[in-house]
Amino acid sequence: MQKFSKDEKIKLEKIAVKNRKNVLRLMKAGRMGHIGGALSAIDIITALYFKIMRVDPQNPKWPQRDRFVLSAGHKCLALYATLAEKGFFDHTVLDTYGSLCTRLGGHPDMYKVPGVETNTGALGHGLSIAGGMAMGLKMDGLDAKVYVIMGDGELAEGSNWEAAAATSHHRLDNLLVFVDRNHLQISGKTVDVMSYEPLDQRWQAFGWSVREIDGHDLKQIVENATDLPFEKGKPSVIIANTVKSKGLSFAEDKADYHYWKATDEDLAIAERELDEIEERIG
Amino acid sequence: MDDLRDPRKTFGEALVDAAEKNQNIVALSADSSSGSGMTPFRERFPERHIEFGIMEQGIMGFSAGLATTGKIPFVVAIAPFVTARPFEMFRNDLGYMHQNVKVVGRCAGLTYSDLGATHQSLDDIAIIRTIPGVTVLNPGDPVDIVKAVHAAAAHVGPVYIKLGSPKMPVLMDENYPFQIGKGVVMQDGSDVTIIGTGTVLSKAAEATRILKEKGIQARLINMHTIKPLDRELVLKAAAETGKIVTVEEGYLAGGLGSCIAELIVAEHPVPMKMIGIDDLFCDTGPYEELLAMYGLQGDRIAETVEKFLA
Repeated sequence: MQKFSKDEKIKLEKIAVKNRKNVLRLMKAGRMGHIGGALSAIDIITALYFKIMRVDPQNPKWPQRDRFVLSAGHKCLALYATLAEKGFFDHTVLDTYGSLCTRLGGHPDMYKVPGVETNTGALGHGLSIAGGMAMGLKMDGLDAKVYVIMGDGELAEGSNWEAAAATSHHRLDNLLVFVDRNHLQISGKTVDVMSYEPLDQRWQAFGWSVREIDGHDLKQIVENATDLPFEKGKPSVIIANTVKSKGLSFAEDKADYHYWKATDEDLAIAERELDEIEERIG
Repeated sequence: MDDLRDPRKTFGEALVDAAEKNQNIVALSADSSSGSGMTPFRERFPERHIEFGIMEQGIMGFSAGLATTGKIPFVVAIAPFVTARPFEMFRNDLGYMHQNVKVVGRCAGLTYSDLGATHQSLDDIAIIRTIPGVTVLNPGDPVDIVKAVHAAAAHVGPVYIKLGSPKMPVLMDENYPFQIGKGVVMQDGSDVTIIGTGTVLSKAAEATRILKEKGIQARLINMHTIKPLDRELVLKAAAETGKIVTVEEGYLAGGLGSCIAELIVAEHPVPMKMIGIDDLFCDTGPYEELLAMYGLQGDRIAETVEKFLA
């Protein structure tokens, strides 16, 4: 486990705000996007790229790198924002979002965006792909790890549970899943739309080692994600309790902001709010 | 007497041979290893044989993930369960991600003749060929099967190989130069071209013999690659023989006949007859009798060609 000092926490919080600002920059360019899930997952993605994963922006295909699979591909604004901040590509690329033939589509493309490992978007694919990566890395004797973010609404796809069984059966303890549990999906609350409660027990029953954290607390994210495997021989899952659209008060915890068509006025308010957060951190 | 060989056993032996030469090859089973002729592989390379149970959606994603780490996965199971069932995984995880995975659908066509429409695979060619960048192979005899396995292993990118299960006669020379995307003229002729593929290539060959006895000189082509299609060979046949007949153990909608029709209607229109399964779920019964019922035995094919030429 990586112990996390107060200074480090503040430093990472500042990067998380920068990444949120990068998301706004994308929205300014493209005007529409899956903002809700991007901002519920962005603290986890920030921590992964800036504190947890072994990656080299200058050498994105480095064989020993850790892998990140954004199974809920629609949260890609957070990934683009973070990859730019980490130096995988120039920030000006963010300004192409929404334009014809942009590299930054509404779902990530591994052949267009340096640092993106998989083409996701259709839900229920990421965990099995990540499982294959984890399996291949083990076969080659590499100690690299595979990190996945899944949406809580996404868990209704049955293919996830095939993958949950196979990753456990094959003892892939180099795999960590974050469930971005923002409790909302397009049609409303996940428990009302299609309940997967009790979520922790379902993962446990599939042979996973489960922890639950506040998915916006960077200390909790880093300390748990660097403590792998939670149990030897088992894949690990963190149920990360999050808030949809976290950081934009007018959109927080609202299913309507799953997909946002932003006006100039919205964007101005959002920018002010992020400035205030940045000032508070100091 | 024909030299008959078991396609699954032939495939399994070829896979072992390919894996001896390339250590990146791994075999993925969906509770389908022994039924796919992969027992020798499992015994020879236990650490490279990965079992998934009856998990025909998940196995596609795992194969894609393995391929990202440099492995060359061969995913092998009953044809409809690696094509129609996980179609979106095939499309996105293998096709869209252009992963170096080889999917082998065995017991395809009507070869599960007794098990009915759930297990018969007549739409696999039609649906898989819609995926950009996927190579589709339909070997016509045991020699083709061996060569298709080696060619697929050497090719970088997703490949689908369709295999039957009843024993197949050897039709091709063991030393012929198999090339993905290149059909083979097995017999020259000028009255009509019969283009056969896969499990019923031998039936098309038989029809060609019957027609010859009746004085009809048919050109016979083994189209072992459905995609990319050998356009040059088809257009040459259209120009030189003026009529084309296609023979396949699959649906007319979207299969080999469709591929060829799409080409010649635009580039060199000539009369065509497509022989295969029309728009229906097939009955069950003994394999050879079913083929006869659906017009896919040599004598029935010859009869259809004769009527077409009349």
